[in-house]
Amino acid sequence: MSQAVSAISIKGLTKDFAVTLRGVKLRAVDALNLEVAEGQVYGLLGPNGSGKSTTIKIILGLLEATVGDVRVFGVPSNKVEARRNVGYLPEAPYFYRYLSGRELVRFYARVCGVPSATLKARVDEVIAWVGLSGAADRRVGTYSKGMLQRIGLAQALVHDPKLIVLDEPTAGVDPVGSAEMCELILKLKQQGKTVLITSHLLAQIEDVCDRVAILDRGKLIVEGSVNELVGQRDRQALIVDPLPAADIEALKGWLAERGHALNSVEQPRARLDQLFLSKVSRPGRPGGASAGVGSNEVPLDDKPKA
Amino acid sequence: MSVASVPFSLGRLGLIAGNTFLEAVRQKLFLFLLLLAIGLVASALFFREFNFGSSELKFIADFGFGALIFFGSALTIATTAQLFFSEIENRTALTLLAKPLWRAEFVFGKFLGVFAVIGVFCALTIGLMMALLYHREGQLMAQTPEAFEAGRLISYGDLLVVGLLQWLKFGVLTAIVLLIASFSNTNLFTVVTGFFVLVICHLQYLARDAWGNVDNALIGLVVQAMSLIFPNFQLFNLADEIGQGSGVDGDVALRVAGYGLAYIAVIGGLAVYSFRNREI
Ligand SMILES: Nc1ncnc2c1ncn2[C@@H]1O[C@H](COP(=O)(O)OP(=O)(O)OP(=O)(O)O)[C@@H](O)[C@H]1O
Ligand SMILES: [Mg+2]
Repeated sequence: MSQAVSAISIKGLTKDFAVTLRGVKLRAVDALNLEVAEGQVYGLLGPNGSGKSTTIKIILGLLEATVGDVRVFGVPSNKVEARRNVGYLPEAPYFYRYLSGRELVRFYARVCGVPSATLKARVDEVIAWVGLSGAADRRVGTYSKGMLQRIGLAQALVHDPKLIVLDEPTAGVDPVGSAEMCELILKLKQQGKTVLITSHLLAQIEDVCDRVAILDRGKLIVEGSVNELVGQRDRQALIVDPLPAADIEALKGWLAERGHALNSVEQPRARLDQLFLSKVSRPGRPGGASAGVGSNEVPLDDKPKA
Repeated sequence: MSVASVPFSLGRLGLIAGNTFLEAVRQKLFLFLLLLAIGLVASALFFREFNFGSSELKFIADFGFGALIFFGSALTIATTAQLFFSEIENRTALTLLAKPLWRAEFVFGKFLGVFAVIGVFCALTIGLMMALLYHREGQLMAQTPEAFEAGRLISYGDLLVVGLLQWLKFGVLTAIVLLIASFSNTNLFTVVTGFFVLVICHLQYLARDAWGNVDNALIGLVVQAMSLIFPNFQLFNLADEIGQGSGVDGDVALRVAGYGLAYIAVIGGLAVYSFRNREI
């Protein structure tokens, strides 16, 4: 086969849930068609209850499609083989509380068949990569939300899958953490991975995704590349030093002579999240050599100051 | 592009079993089991004061097995349901089943994990009971040597065999509870139904004795079907034969073991079949 196989191919997918005893059905996904090419970062957007998680669960074989054909790298999604090349971070992840972070990642690595010769190195590598080295030996039950998302990402990546499915990886994560999550996603893209991501933080989706699809009540409303969808080709913005009113008038005249119009004059503002990021300390740059999140542990003999 | 197939793996099955067992360990379940076993066996000590000679030994054994059967059954049902639903309710099953893993590996992994936990409980209880019996028998031998002219009365090998069979019976019960859990939505429903089935399994022989020879063909058929669908737990109870006549018959024990293993295989298979279609 010379033709490239899509990482994810969804054809005519419909999913009904039986929600009452009288057999009333709820259509969570409605005649959905979607192709995610290999190497893309693909955003699945939509309001609450629009069927994003349901679609993802069908891709992972956790739910059975009512109608339709879903394939992952050409393999039907309900086959065990289809999950060989997939890593998955569920929404609001929750892991075995009684394991330490390292034990957890190790467990999943062994389930995925990571060879025992490389097991330890691989586990340490992904834990460092998500910036959790400092907390790897703590019980998962003691982790904060952001740390759960990180250990969840480590667990999803440990067997080096080609496709990574992230269901709201930034839910409940602070702006620093979610900016780092975005950096990690971009790094995955550089490594040639395919990433499917859902999120409500549209600004972030815009920054990382190549293409997006918007679902509403299970139906596909919009699909396309981010540049196509939101780029305004017929507009341009010039950012300049503050100009006196007279100069602005002169500029308008100059533009008018050339047949152009000055559409608006605005005061550009930094986005609040950019301000937040510049003011708040950023522990554990992902992929870096620092000890990472959770490394603000206090030595045992270090008494809190009164 | 072809993706290599994923063969059924005993290694992965073992991983799931190990993790299930570890959950029980880390939740300090074993501390509870140890205390329970000590409590059970120690309460048998109270009967020492009756001091009815060698029949006291038989009494201790009966008491011990009665307690093992009662608490072991309750523990099996509760532990199986708990360790299964902790995966579903905490949504850890979501992450796990999204891995290249067969659902059969999950179900049988859970089975083996729980079976090992129950095994620890059985070993503790029977071990302590045997130690107590041995100790008491030694005392009685010193007091009334004439009753022990033929050596020790208790066959400890038989005790072990009967204990193993009880463990296997709990295995059948584990498989039954897993089958219920595979389609049930709640822990509570699973536990209640589990107890209900347990009672049927223990009492079905009564129905057969009472109704099996009735002329009414329909009732006869229903009773026959019942006794085929539900395993007869009374078969596993060989404790009465300890210290009597020729003791436990090895052939009988083997046949009972085969009976138990067959039920585990069939019920476990049904649980896998039912769990395969479950929406997580
Ligand atoms: N197991 C289920 N049984 C019945 N209905 C379900 C089930 N799972 C999901 N639904 C319904 O399907 C619809 C889609 O749910 P889904 O979780 O896919 O939404 P979502 O897009 O992920 O929403 P959110 O942004 O809130 O995560 C919802 O109306 C939900 O109530
Ligand atoms: Mg969702």
